[in-house]
Amino acid sequence: MIKNYIKIAWRNLLKSKLYSAINIIGLSIGISACILIGLYIHNELSYDQFHLNSNNIYRASMVYSTAGPVNEAAVSGSKVGPEFKRTFPNVMEYVRTYVTTSSIKKGELVFDENKMLFADSVFFSVFSFKLLAGDSKTAIDAPDKIVLTQSSAAKLFPQQNAIGEILRYGGSDYKVSGICENPPQNSQIKFDFVISFSNLGNAYKTETWWNANWVTYLLIDNQTNIDQFENQINAYMDSDLVREQTGSMDPNFLHYRLEPFNKVHLHSKLEGLEPNGNIQYIYIFGIIGILILLIAGANYTNLATAQAMGRGGEIGTRKVLGATRNQVFSQFIGEAVVLTSVATVFALMITLFAIPFFNNVSGKSFVFGDVLSFKVLILGPIFALIISFLAGIYPAVVLSGTKALTAMKSSFELAKGNGNVLRKSLIVAQFSISIFLISVTAIIISQVNFLKKTNLGYDRNHVLVIPMNQKISENYELLKPAIQNVIGVSAVTASYDTPEYVAWGDGISATGANGPVEISLNAMPVDLDFAQTLGMQFAAGRDFQKYDFDLMDTTNNSVNYKLPYIINETLAKMIGWTPEEAIGKTIEHRALGPIVGVLKDFHFQSLHQSIGPLLQFLDKNSSRKLLVKMDGGQMKETLKGLENLFAARMPGQPFNYHFLDDDYNKLYLSEQRTTSLFKAAAFLAILLATLGLFGLAAFMTFSRTKEIGIRRVLGATLFSISQLFVRQFIFLIVVAVVVAIPMAWYAGNYWLQDFAYKIELEWWHFALAGTLVLLIAVATISYQSIRVCLLNPIKSLRSE
Amino acid sequence: MIRLTNLDKRYRTEEVETIALDKMNLEVKEGEFVSIMGPSGCGKSSLLNIIGLLDDLDGGSYLFNGIEVAKFNERKRSELRKHNIGFVFQSFNLIDELTVYENVELPLIYTKVNAADRKKRVEEVLEKMQIMHRKNHFPQQLSGGQQQRVAISRAVVNKPKLILADEPTGNLDSANGNEVMQLLTDLNEQGTTVIMVTHSEHDAKYSHRIVRMLDGKTVTENILL
Repeated sequence: MIKNYIKIAWRNLLKSKLYSAINIIGLSIGISACILIGLYIHNELSYDQFHLNSNNIYRASMVYSTAGPVNEAAVSGSKVGPEFKRTFPNVMEYVRTYVTTSSIKKGELVFDENKMLFADSVFFSVFSFKLLAGDSKTAIDAPDKIVLTQSSAAKLFPQQNAIGEILRYGGSDYKVSGICENPPQNSQIKFDFVISFSNLGNAYKTETWWNANWVTYLLIDNQTNIDQFENQINAYMDSDLVREQTGSMDPNFLHYRLEPFNKVHLHSKLEGLEPNGNIQYIYIFGIIGILILLIAGANYTNLATAQAMGRGGEIGTRKVLGATRNQVFSQFIGEAVVLTSVATVFALMITLFAIPFFNNVSGKSFVFGDVLSFKVLILGPIFALIISFLAGIYPAVVLSGTKALTAMKSSFELAKGNGNVLRKSLIVAQFSISIFLISVTAIIISQVNFLKKTNLGYDRNHVLVIPMNQKISENYELLKPAIQNVIGVSAVTASYDTPEYVAWGDGISATGANGPVEISLNAMPVDLDFAQTLGMQFAAGRDFQKYDFDLMDTTNNSVNYKLPYIINETLAKMIGWTPEEAIGKTIEHRALGPIVGVLKDFHFQSLHQSIGPLLQFLDKNSSRKLLVKMDGGQMKETLKGLENLFAARMPGQPFNYHFLDDDYNKLYLSEQRTTSLFKAAAFLAILLATLGLFGLAAFMTFSRTKEIGIRRVLGATLFSISQLFVRQFIFLIVVAVVVAIPMAWYAGNYWLQDFAYKIELEWWHFALAGTLVLLIAVATISYQSIRVCLLNPIKSLRSE
Repeated sequence: MIRLTNLDKRYRTEEVETIALDKMNLEVKEGEFVSIMGPSGCGKSSLLNIIGLLDDLDGGSYLFNGIEVAKFNERKRSELRKHNIGFVFQSFNLIDELTVYENVELPLIYTKVNAADRKKRVEEVLEKMQIMHRKNHFPQQLSGGQQQRVAISRAVVNKPKLILADEPTGNLDSANGNEVMQLLTDLNEQGTTVIMVTHSEHDAKYSHRIVRMLDGKTVTENILL
């Protein structure tokens, strides 16, 4: 019996080539999209789950207030780990980590841009990064040991055993003590090399609560009630003894939150060793996958019920010959299964081809092996079976439930009635989804363009960012004037952060018009010429000048030490001053000092956030980034000039740089991904829906061939006939527009809520989607009806 | 074998009610070959559908082998039908996607005959109908006469007690028509009861008895033997 079902399903598939192709293409694309999205979701949900201790590791994040508002950070001081282990018996181990990008030397060869991880010696015992060579307990138990990942080892020591070899980093020699498997892509801790945390010098020797630069992980006894333990920790942090150490006197405080390690990636707002994912994206990806599959499934249901018109005779005959309802039902489900199985095979092929594109959209690095994994190959077909059942159930129920005589005599009726209502509903659903996705895509693209074009209050074009390593820092004073002399360079400065994202949290106290205030703010240590290099405007006052360094008098125990400040308009306003009033006023940050300038507000964080108070203070020693403004006329020559200069001044040091614009764009990486995802989804949705409509229109016009012939003989024009078909579909598209627009409006607004600076929703975001879909639909239907019209009317009349 | 008493059948649309069978009475004995004739719309096909358990009746009684089947539900009717009745249609009603062999095999699949027996019986029937050489062809590749022979093969493969033929020669030329009629006569001679609806006086002469209908009622009955 099953053989018979499969046989007839296969022959039907070959017989109706157009409909089969539409169904197979649609379902393959739908299934392929679902496989990729499934891989993405699985990868995201599996983040950091591979560690044996995964459930017992927590990240200690700071929650603190130094002046007013409460701040949070994923980093913490170097004291947190050791102090908690000494104080609380349920802290079994701690691992402090720090990742930096730096150069490694092997002999005279310099290898650049590697992720160097500093970690406490128990790193390989707490986390399950498998060592292929070396002992996990002793791999980094001394400052001169280094562990390489498999790929670093292959890069540095091709076809050679790396163990025992010497590498040079930051002026010291390290002996390779272990080779470890590459960290998987679903790991928040990623590295190329691991060395001991003790190499961080002061951070290791002097434990501090502040100077929070390290991400601290705690291995906690699995019997511990984490909520209670967090309270216990914070009660300890509020004790007089610790308050004295932290300097956080009531109402200020320094607390810690224990974030479950394997939930950090999707659920934490705090960025630690790498940017986090977002559980919202799991939902968005999931919903998009389901929507695309719905459209493809609807095509199947639609075409199958329409095709039922032509199969009344067959069904009737089967029933006359004794087929039961279940047998006819099974046959139709069987056909859906055969079709879906073929589609699944194509889907796997499409998926393999789509991997590079999907990696680009999702920011992941899936490989062929992920698609051909056991799980996909087992779950894929199961999933396909479920789809075929869902897509095939309606036609199967209707056709199997029809009486033999009805089926044989009035097959046309099968396609009418409820089938007609269902088909219309499905078309409305398909086009609603398409219009929804196109509208939302238009909204996202508008917002991303807005982000790109917004005047940030500084000029980010042609600004080169050169990360400052130890050597550059040492040579900075001499290097700066030399860089300024390179042709095409218009200004040079250095700072701790680049202006697009100022992360340094701090606080000040001042006495404003309404009395004393304490304000939490972002601060940035800068060198001279910062405002000039970035083209920032002053609302009042001036930029830092050389003579401002004279205020920073460290003689006589620094009793006369003053620190000059530049603030932004928002900070001036918060204190209660106009920009002009602020000039010359004294505020206290690290030391008392005068305000020499008030900068016009500029965006120093992403446009998700409103502009907050900002303080700049003169401190070139904290600089991490060298910023070079080029006039943009002769970029190539200027870059060459800079490269030559670096090679001459610091031989053997690589010249690494990127553009400030790139840093800015990185702020909106997730928005750009969302844009690509929605573009792809909207394209697929409209493609599949149009394909379905194409098939359905072909069927509708085919089944009315005779009518068209008669109308043509009686003198109907092409236009009047295509109008006949277009009219009934236009109504459906209009209903789809009405259904989709409120949903798109809601979704667009919801997405935009996350931005402090955003576009207004415009009527054209929706009109564009509606018109586009309408035009595509009209074109598709007209094509089909005109095709039938162009047949010789005599042929049309003979068709029945 | 078949006793119909006061059989009523009406078709209703929204506005019109048509009486197809009006207190119709008919008895067919086992082994008989009966032709039903009459003008279009007189209720011949409705009668045949009811006898074939393809349609409900609105009133009266239908005894099949002494069992009242008027109130049978679809499942029971299907069960009775597939074991006892074979159908031959004017338009053959072969399934285009199945080969000759598969078309004939279909009733056996539905009556759950095992594969080996199916093969034996299908081949036996195809041999008998002299269509074995075409067993792997699809219906569209056959002539009308050949298609009807396949349809008759399919009707008899389950060895039904009753064959219902609805204008079996309607789509055939006279040579092929005669051949089909001869096949039906042979089957009847081997003991199968045949009830045939026809417009052709020529075909009707093959039967034992002609029932003439008008407006849903029997008007005359001619015994030919």
